[in-house]
Amino acid sequence: MQVKIIISTVAFMLTMVIMGYAALREPARMETYTLMYEARSMEAGATIYHNNCTTCHGENGKAEECYNGDGEQIACAGRSLHNADLLCGATSKRMSDMQWLGSKHAFIAGTIAAGRSANGMPTWGAEYGGSLEPYEVEYVTKFVLNWETEALCSQPTLPPPDWPETVAELPAGNAANGEQLYSIDLGCAACHGNLAEEGSNAVGPWVGNFQNLDNVRIEGYTAADYMYESVLLPSEFISPECPTGVCAGPPSGMPDNFGTRMTIQDMADVMAYVLATETFEGNQTIVYEP
Amino acid sequence: MATLFDEIREMGLKQAAIAKLDDVVERVTAGMNINDIRAMLRGDEPRKPNPRLRPHADSFWLHIRPSFYHAEVTHIYPTFRLGWLSTFAFVWETITGIFLMIFYTPSPDVAFKNMWEIMGNVPLGQLMRDMHRLGAEFMVLVVALHMLRTFITGSYKKPRQFTWLTGMLLLVFTLVLSFSGYLLPWDQLAYWAVTVAVSAAESHPGPAFLGKNINLLLRGAPVIGAGGLLRFYLLHVILLPLLTGIFIFVHYYKVIIHGHSLPPGREAIGEDTAKRVPRDERVYFLPDILTAEVMWTALTTLGLVGGATFFYHAVIESHADPLVTPLHVVAPWYLSWSQGWLKWLFEVPFTGQELDSKVIVAFGIIPVLAVMFFVMPYFEVGRSRRYADRRVGLSVSMAFITFMLISNWQGSPEFRVQSTAEQEVQQRIMPQEGHSMVLEVPYEEWVPGTYLATEAEIERMIREDRPHIAETLELYMTALYDWSCTNSGSDLYRPCEVTDDGLYTNGVKIDVLVDPYAAIVVKQAQENMLEIKVQIKVDDPNAPVDFYYIRYRHQQGGYEIY
Ligand code: HEC
Ligand code: HEC
Ligand code: HEM
Repeated sequence: MQVKIIISTVAFMLTMVIMGYAALREPARMETYTLMYEARSMEAGATIYHNNCTTCHGENGKAEECYNGDGEQIACAGRSLHNADLLCGATSKRMSDMQWLGSKHAFIAGTIAAGRSANGMPTWGAEYGGSLEPYEVEYVTKFVLNWETEALCSQPTLPPPDWPETVAELPAGNAANGEQLYSIDLGCAACHGNLAEEGSNAVGPWVGNFQNLDNVRIEGYTAADYMYESVLLPSEFISPECPTGVCAGPPSGMPDNFGTRMTIQDMADVMAYVLATETFEGNQTIVYEP
Repeated sequence: MATLFDEIREMGLKQAAIAKLDDVVERVTAGMNINDIRAMLRGDEPRKPNPRLRPHADSFWLHIRPSFYHAEVTHIYPTFRLGWLSTFAFVWETITGIFLMIFYTPSPDVAFKNMWEIMGNVPLGQLMRDMHRLGAEFMVLVVALHMLRTFITGSYKKPRQFTWLTGMLLLVFTLVLSFSGYLLPWDQLAYWAVTVAVSAAESHPGPAFLGKNINLLLRGAPVIGAGGLLRFYLLHVILLPLLTGIFIFVHYYKVIIHGHSLPPGREAIGEDTAKRVPRDERVYFLPDILTAEVMWTALTTLGLVGGATFFYHAVIESHADPLVTPLHVVAPWYLSWSQGWLKWLFEVPFTGQELDSKVIVAFGIIPVLAVMFFVMPYFEVGRSRRYADRRVGLSVSMAFITFMLISNWQGSPEFRVQSTAEQEVQQRIMPQEGHSMVLEVPYEEWVPGTYLATEAEIERMIREDRPHIAETLELYMTALYDWSCTNSGSDLYRPCEVTDDGLYTNGVKIDVLVDPYAAIVVKQAQENMLEIKVQIKVDDPNAPVDFYYIRYRHQQGGYEIY
């Protein structure tokens, strides 16, 4: 019996030593596991993103290179998510543009869950009739937020080109180049559709009839004036002709960052393509101030 | 009746306090005062009347324990302490389980997250979880072994048939307890194992409404969701523990009523002398059996705590997803046999008509076997408990165990898998769920690029001191060897043959890859995350393959440690 009591005591003490050892390493271990859960949520988010979002936002989130299910390159319909405007700062530029007062996480999670169907962002949250469960929205949100890095946020933003104040000062446009920009590189086609096909526009107005738009939308504007202003300053005037009726806004559903993404030559080329002319006539002064 | 005050006046403070303490101890132990306890621990003979018997008569906890045992049953043989260990495991599970309950909510919205919070946010939370899960497996094992030993020593025979029957109930409760706990982490492993098991109810051969309603009752909805999780939770934390607790008491009560059966060779055939213990062969519960049990408690606790700290970690897979069935759904090891049976082909004799294996297994084999086990002692009425007289019974039991072990193996994905060769290869190195050699490569070892599954690449990795990638590629090549053949005379694979169905075979597996091109392609997905793609291509025009499978690996993913 004495032996048994001694064995019990030793075993009990060893148990306590092990528990003590486990307790000592707990803080470090818990930290690791917390990070691990974050990491694995992001990994799961990456898979969800890969399967649902790349056709519009691109594999790298910059909305520069998008492919359809057959692997053909198409215009990216979405905005850039891997982007300082969206991600940098406690209240990012996009949040203040949209007059969002909540957190960044809620801004992104809320956008993903509810979508902005008028602007072409589908509804994803199952609670709104989408296909992603709340935990999946959470994971993909974490993945999007993970694009926020020091490198991204400390990048100097390139100054926009010195936009001329009248369309007549634009260089001669190249329509063939313009078609490539319109259909793929800048992604206009994703919202505005195919110029030759009325009704192919998914989000914004169809712009295939723009040659004939002199004085139609705004008194005194030529078609070129109007197009120039629409691309540089989309919220200045909201078009009445979206697929679902009068367009929403301001702010406009059209991204307002083309003034920083395009060169002056790009603008001339796209306008040449849409308006089917090489040089532009105008009678308005249009001042670009982002 | 003197008051405490009177006593102090009479005896002085110290004496009065000691007398009071003595009194309290005697009440708590239901009959033993301080001197009795000290005498007992010193190993003295008890005074007369023996105070060590009174707790058995007067206290709740000891009244279901015998006051003395036959010396023959106090050694390791014949009980191996397995019954005691089963009780220990049940108590252990209760304690660790209550700890986990504090941090767990049975809702699909948060259950999975709760599990991670238990591991990442609750001090000693992971240890508790590991101890609970390890304890559960331990309990199943110990209960099964205890059953085996009572069979082998013939202890189920008259008059202990009912003890066996309550034991069978306890076995069923133990298995269902384990299995209902399986669903609670709400990960893929849990979700699909339970979905597959519950769907057996759907195959009910009777009227359709029956199967449908049994199913509804268990799942709480057409698919397992919030309702199903809550039901399994309630089964797991209330109903089954309650039933198990109650029946452990019934079982124990039967054990003291009949006494522990002696080793079979110790009594005359057909006699039961367990209750007639000669004075010189008595071993009293107090103190000898109690200290033995304390010792076993201490040792088993040490084993489980040490095991859970250093060797055993309960797994968690990705979040349950009703829309994504993982490639291989596996039952826990103690139920794998049933999954093995589901893979069998059942045919009507002579006509050769095929039957649904779910119906046969869930509504035929399992219930029939269960009933046979329950009532076995009432039909197996051979008088002798001696091994030499029970050769048939013991052989049958050994054959049955062998059969169960084989069935268990058949339950594993090794046996009759249905997926394609390229998926099997991928599953070996980077499965959808569970341990993955590829993900366990430390993040820093990867450099974006293409890693071919070739000897040259492995050598390069070893030269560049990237051992985990080398190891992974080696496993990749082994898996490819198993699932490929060659038409070009490559010395990497066995030569191709063509089966009667026109499928390629390497002599072992059918429908294999022909001279595959295989690689792991690594890209930077985000600053701290890699995209890892397992890619397999076959150009052969008769069996072309263009396969890839992607997973992401975050720097902090921690796959090396968990
Ligand atoms: C059909 C194309 C399409 C798909 C698919 C799509 N998006 Fe979008 N997304 C858009 C468009 C268009 C916008 C811009 C809406 C606007 O300007 O208001 C957008 C905007 C967003 C925004 C807000 C960006 C900002 O700056 O305000 C986020 C975040 C986002 N998407 C995430 C996702 C995620 C995550 C997925 C995949 C689950 C996804 N999107 C799938 C088209 C899409
Ligand atoms: C995310 C979708 C989207 C993208 C991408 C987009 N637009 Fe728009 N665009 C709109 C919406 C919505 C409107 C209507 C609201 C408004 O008037 O601001 C609009 C309006 C216009 C208009 C005025 C149309 C009218 O009928 O009044 C022009 C011109 C235009 N966009 C040109 C372009 C060009 C050129 C590009 C590519 C450089 C482009 N858009 C890219 C959504 C988009
Ligand atoms: C939770 C599960 C169980 C617990 C806690 C338990 C507990 C015990 C204990 C403490 C004993 C005393 C003797 C010993 O340690 O062997 C015992 C005896 C016995 N048990 Fe169990 N048991 C369980 C399951 C089973 C099962 C599954 C069976 C068989 C189907 C079974 C059949 C018996 C029999 C026949 C005896 C009498 C043995 C004898 O008198 O020698 N028990 N049980």
